[in-house]
Amino acid sequence: MNLKDFLAGLSDFWSEFRRDKAGLIGLAILVVAILAIIFEPVIVPFKEVNSKWRDINYWEDNSSGAPPAWTNAFSSEKKAVTTSLDRPRKEEIEGDGVSIRRYEFDYSYRYDQPPLDVIFRAEGWGTFPILVSVERPDGQVIDLYQYVAEGLDGDDLRVTLANDSKSAAYQFLAVNASEADMANYDSYSVKPMVIMFSEASPSMATAPVALTGKYKFIVQTMVMSEDVRIDNAHFTVVGSVSGILGSDTGKRDLFSGLLAGLKWALLIGFVTSFISVLLGVLYGIISAYFGGAIDSTMNFIYELFVSMPVLPILIVISAVFKPSIWFIIAALVVFSWTGPVKTVRSMAMQIKEETYIEAARALGAGKWRIIFKHMLPLLIPYSFASMALSVPGAILYEASVSLLGLGDATITTWGQILHDALSSGAVLNGLWWWVVPPGFSIAIMGMSFAFIGSAMDKILHPKLRTR
Amino acid sequence: MYKWFALKRILRGVVMFTLLMFVFSALFNTVSEKTQRAGIREEVAMKVNRLKDLKPEQIEKYRADETERLIKMYRLDRPVIERIVVRALNTVTFRFGNSTIMKSSGGSRMVIDIIGEALPRTILLFTSAIAIELLIGVYLGFKKAQKPGSALDRTTSIVTMVVYGLPSWWLGMMLMMTFVYAIKIFPSGGILSVPPPDNGFLRLLDVLWHMALPMITLLLIGFWGLAYIVRNIVLGILQEDYIMSARARGVPENKVLFGHTLRSAAPPLVTMGLLSLLASISGAILFEGIFSWPGLGNLYWVAVQQNDIPVLLGDLAITTGIYLGGLVFLDLIYGFLDPRIKVGGKA
Repeated sequence: MNLKDFLAGLSDFWSEFRRDKAGLIGLAILVVAILAIIFEPVIVPFKEVNSKWRDINYWEDNSSGAPPAWTNAFSSEKKAVTTSLDRPRKEEIEGDGVSIRRYEFDYSYRYDQPPLDVIFRAEGWGTFPILVSVERPDGQVIDLYQYVAEGLDGDDLRVTLANDSKSAAYQFLAVNASEADMANYDSYSVKPMVIMFSEASPSMATAPVALTGKYKFIVQTMVMSEDVRIDNAHFTVVGSVSGILGSDTGKRDLFSGLLAGLKWALLIGFVTSFISVLLGVLYGIISAYFGGAIDSTMNFIYELFVSMPVLPILIVISAVFKPSIWFIIAALVVFSWTGPVKTVRSMAMQIKEETYIEAARALGAGKWRIIFKHMLPLLIPYSFASMALSVPGAILYEASVSLLGLGDATITTWGQILHDALSSGAVLNGLWWWVVPPGFSIAIMGMSFAFIGSAMDKILHPKLRTR
Repeated sequence: MYKWFALKRILRGVVMFTLLMFVFSALFNTVSEKTQRAGIREEVAMKVNRLKDLKPEQIEKYRADETERLIKMYRLDRPVIERIVVRALNTVTFRFGNSTIMKSSGGSRMVIDIIGEALPRTILLFTSAIAIELLIGVYLGFKKAQKPGSALDRTTSIVTMVVYGLPSWWLGMMLMMTFVYAIKIFPSGGILSVPPPDNGFLRLLDVLWHMALPMITLLLIGFWGLAYIVRNIVLGILQEDYIMSARARGVPENKVLFGHTLRSAAPPLVTMGLLSLLASISGAILFEGIFSWPGLGNLYWVAVQQNDIPVLLGDLAITTGIYLGGLVFLDLIYGFLDPRIKVGGKA
């Protein structure tokens, strides 16, 4: 088969495939998925999700078990959304010998429910005092927290205002709220976030009203020596809703996790189905072509593999050997190459009797030449349909093994996300944004491949077509 | 002769099972011996603790002797091949030994007891699901094939593809979230309430109540694929000449469908249908864990969580046995329905 024939065949195939709506939908989903994988570094909100999925420190500033941000549209009380403020205005005020460095972060607050926390984070070098304050839309400035960072060497600076600004918030409350209300408060029970984001009024302790508008978080530090350096200064406003798909109870962003799992799902599906279908087709052809004792032996081996329940064996193998993802893929291939064998064998039996095979043999063509040059090409269209249809199975098997907590712990897959959801009681507590998307993604991937596969199938078996 | 065909097929199944057990025994040899050695250490330590009034040397000697005796008993001192063969033979005769941690509800630590307790519950759940799935699937498949391209055919075909890659355990999780925790209709899992009702009839109702949601989950995605397979087989037959002639003779449509067509469609239907169900069930074993339905599938969850290797391997052997049994049963029906098969005696 030369290139020209191949292209002609392909365009014929496409003109038929184009007519199948479901097939096109499946193809479109697949294209979108592949684009998402290619542009993952651009779209993904947490860039290091692939290497840090299981690193608790990496996620420590995110909100825990927060619903997606868009749920605000359906609730009467708008909740603050988790946002990162990482473009400060820098200012350096020179004095004699010392200079004051000032970082200003703008935050526009337009919700009813204040954030859970506002966290300042930076990497620092040297010794320097630091003052965190906020300028509210009503013009009042609260100095929230100050301390001296000593002898840092690229260490993390982390100020969590929900805890660290309690005394400042208490003082602010004491100035504004009525005395009767204040009697019930001390500097421990005070809620800095509520106070920071509420209108200053005598009733603010008991009935706070959200103060919306532009907040300015200001971080000031005195630079006394050359070696003082502050890098990567940013604020995280930790809201009670977060991201496109919310976060899990381990504070991980689920949209990032889902994107990270997508490429593994496709990889597992493609690699497994490609290798196993190829093996199965070859196995079927060889078995049919040689016949006799070879056929019976191969048939017996085939039956042995068919007699094994795949998933239970896969589970036990994973439980015993604690495999990597490549081992799982290899195991999947070992157990799923049997899929196309029966059909291919019977198709090859017919092809074998064709006159042109006889002619080729009469011309002195070797058996492998006949198998690869004259028989395999005829079965290629069938193999493609079969590959498409066996992708969902592979994805599903890996997800099932991971659901039991037996997956490869160095990667992120949808099954693992569901395992975490199940073992953290997401089903019990109704954290739907943790349970729905991964399973839905598995189902969507399965559906798109089923659409593509059955569209191919219909082209190949016109008898099944609707009249 | 059907009886020779049947005998041959059953024997073949037994041979297959034995062979597979040898494969498993070899595959999991290292890990099962590790657990066996750990078990021996535990047993010896327990016996040593019970000893009284002995000098340290005597205890040491006793410990060494006892360990050696047990190692001999479990044949851990024999060559690898012999160990593998013996273990495989033990598995084939259902002697799985003791579990490491798990116990049956009767307190027994024999793996066979633990599995024996779980098996009937799995059979109860899945046979009832299969029966209903078969009925709906075959009926729907025929209806689809009768008017290919109709609205019914097309919508159901699309649903088939939509649920093609849908994990049943995930659907189970979703339904549980909705109908157990959000809207409290069904129980959260298990097979009986705690405490169970003592009246026999109420007990039955209780089991049915616990069975409802798992059944609904299985049914929601179970019969679509089957209906699609039935449709394709039946569609092929409906295009045969004798069906056309039957229709031309004025045979009522239902008789054509369920008389003429069903008879010739039966053998492939049974094979493809049961095969797809068998496959879907081997995939649905995880699903029991979601509903804490205490069957064989749930046993995998518990055994994995507690890292109980003997139970895991025993469960695998039994699951494989059931799966193989299903395949043999299928061939027997096929041979029964299709007279051509049993003449040659080659299944």
